[in-house]
Amino acid sequence: MKRNIKIIGMLILVLSFSFIFMSGCAKEQVVKDEKLVTEEGKAAVTATGEKEALLKEEEEAKTALKERELVMQEAAAFEAIRFDFDKYDLSPEAREILGEHADWLLKHTEFEVIIEGHCDERGSGEYNLALGERRAEAARDYLVTLGVDNGRLTTISYGEELPLDPSHNEDAWAKNRRDHFVVVTEKK
Amino acid sequence: MILQMRYETLNLKLETNVVKIMRKITFFLVLLVFCCSSLAFGKVYIDIDSPAFQKFTAAIPDFKNIGSNKDTENLSVRFSDSLTEMLKITGFFRMIDKNAFLEDQSKAGITAGSIDFHDWSSIGAEFLVKGGFQCNGKDLTAEFRLFDVVEGNLLTARKYWGTREEIKVMVLKFTSEILLALTGERGVFETKIAFIGKKGKMSDIYVIDFDGSRLVRVTRNRSITLLPHWSQDGKKLSFTSYMRGNPDLYFIDISKRKIKRISNFKGLNLSGPWSPDGSKILLTLSKDGNEEIYVMDLKERKLRRLTYDPAIDVSPTWSPDGKKIAFVSSRSGSPQVFIMNSDGSNVRRLTYEGRYNTSPCWSPDGKRIAYEGMTNGHFQIFSIDEGGGNFLQLTFEKGGCEYPSWSPDGRYLAFSLRKNGKIRICIINSNGLNLRTLHEETGMDAICPSWSPRFNFY
Repeated sequence: MKRNIKIIGMLILVLSFSFIFMSGCAKEQVVKDEKLVTEEGKAAVTATGEKEALLKEEEEAKTALKERELVMQEAAAFEAIRFDFDKYDLSPEAREILGEHADWLLKHTEFEVIIEGHCDERGSGEYNLALGERRAEAARDYLVTLGVDNGRLTTISYGEELPLDPSHNEDAWAKNRRDHFVVVTEKK
Repeated sequence: MILQMRYETLNLKLETNVVKIMRKITFFLVLLVFCCSSLAFGKVYIDIDSPAFQKFTAAIPDFKNIGSNKDTENLSVRFSDSLTEMLKITGFFRMIDKNAFLEDQSKAGITAGSIDFHDWSSIGAEFLVKGGFQCNGKDLTAEFRLFDVVEGNLLTARKYWGTREEIKVMVLKFTSEILLALTGERGVFETKIAFIGKKGKMSDIYVIDFDGSRLVRVTRNRSITLLPHWSQDGKKLSFTSYMRGNPDLYFIDISKRKIKRISNFKGLNLSGPWSPDGSKILLTLSKDGNEEIYVMDLKERKLRRLTYDPAIDVSPTWSPDGKKIAFVSSRSGSPQVFIMNSDGSNVRRLTYEGRYNTSPCWSPDGKRIAYEGMTNGHFQIFSIDEGGGNFLQLTFEKGGCEYPSWSPDGRYLAFSLRKNGKIRICIINSNGLNLRTLHEETGMDAICPSWSPRFNFY
């Protein structure tokens, strides 16, 4: 999970760097053009037009970056789905959430998803590892029926080993019986 | 006795560790009274596995200093106290408080002729342990005697030579003799229990002695580690760990701390028990699309699939003769314990009581299968005959009792107990009595115990 946040963080960083780099290039271009204009004594109209175009480009790049950031935020905030005790079938709420995930994934095809199946602490750890696997697979299979390419989906079970809430009560148990989605731009 | 001496000599040639040699030389055992009583070898006093078992009542006065050197380390009391503690741990003894003793210890001796057994029977003692010791520098010699108070005779006696540091070893050895004399079996003092210690998201394997001493951390995987199982020779443990991302199956050589990956198929690679002959292990793999039980031949690393069911199949355990396997399956809708032949044939359901029964463990005598089941919202430990009869609830705790594991003599079960927001390792007698905490630690949950085979520690 942490690693994936890191991946997303790094992507944002790389994107912002490339943006700075790009705009740097553009500015240099403008100066050269101005020199060219004074030297040859031609009208500055072309230069001004180009300037506007470049500014527009800059603006567009900014918007693209913002959009990208938004997409990344969306990717990092994939809503988990919940399960009943000793169950791995999908509730109507879970299906609805998975429907939204599928729409998003169909729009943003460069992303892949690791689906983590988790259980509450009750019952044998071994059985819960199997149950967690079933929960992850249930979500994967449903996403596939909604059109998401199977190759973009990976499953792993953590059984009862990584609770979201380590308390020992009904509330915590309900939170811990979940599929957690880790969205990444490339498979690990 | 001569045999034992010879054995020690043989060992000397093989040992390279000088310290070990010294220890072996200085520590050996001599039978004081070779055949002091036919009772010690023939009669088993009582069936301690019976639910109606009443504890033996025993008394242990302070040991006598029979040497000429002063007892500067209070050995007299340390002998009696640690022997009392060990007998309590077995769960078979009620120890009489020293304050209730009537005997004039300055006058009484440690042999049958010098003991007035009436002093002991009148305070309710059925058995009496007397002992004496001498120290000379670092060396310590001690003799122990177990008496039947009612009959007024000696049941067993031993003399030990060693160093002062070996006082506990002497006490453990004689506790084993007492158990042998009274129950027909030596007990499980020379066994260990492996378990998982969980701190936050990290978990590792720990090993502890039967009496709760000598805790050792075995792995440092910096990851999730699960399901330890002892090899038959007690030298290795199998386990499952996420240390390389996927839940893979590993072996660790305990003394060398060397870890080897055994199975890393996509999906679950869950560690299961070693076969009674040590040549195979059971494991659960999900490589074929769902969780199935496999057996792996360790020599050829060949896998054979045993279950074929779209439901969850996990948690296999061998019968002690290796001919059958109990396991958990959700094929009837909820997790229940099933039994099959070791080739996967003849599957039948074992548990019908309750709707969540998991973690089966087959008893060493082959008669009982322990498991955890949910009743009134809590997990408890149960045991049941292989045929499904004599269903017995062993724990009645408010929290949760999970992962039962039999001692090699079948007289105890280790399990994890969740109570007051904390999980610890506990032990009960196989009849459900005498619950004691084996290990509990602040900041760490202790789960998933696995009882070792018998070692030769001492």
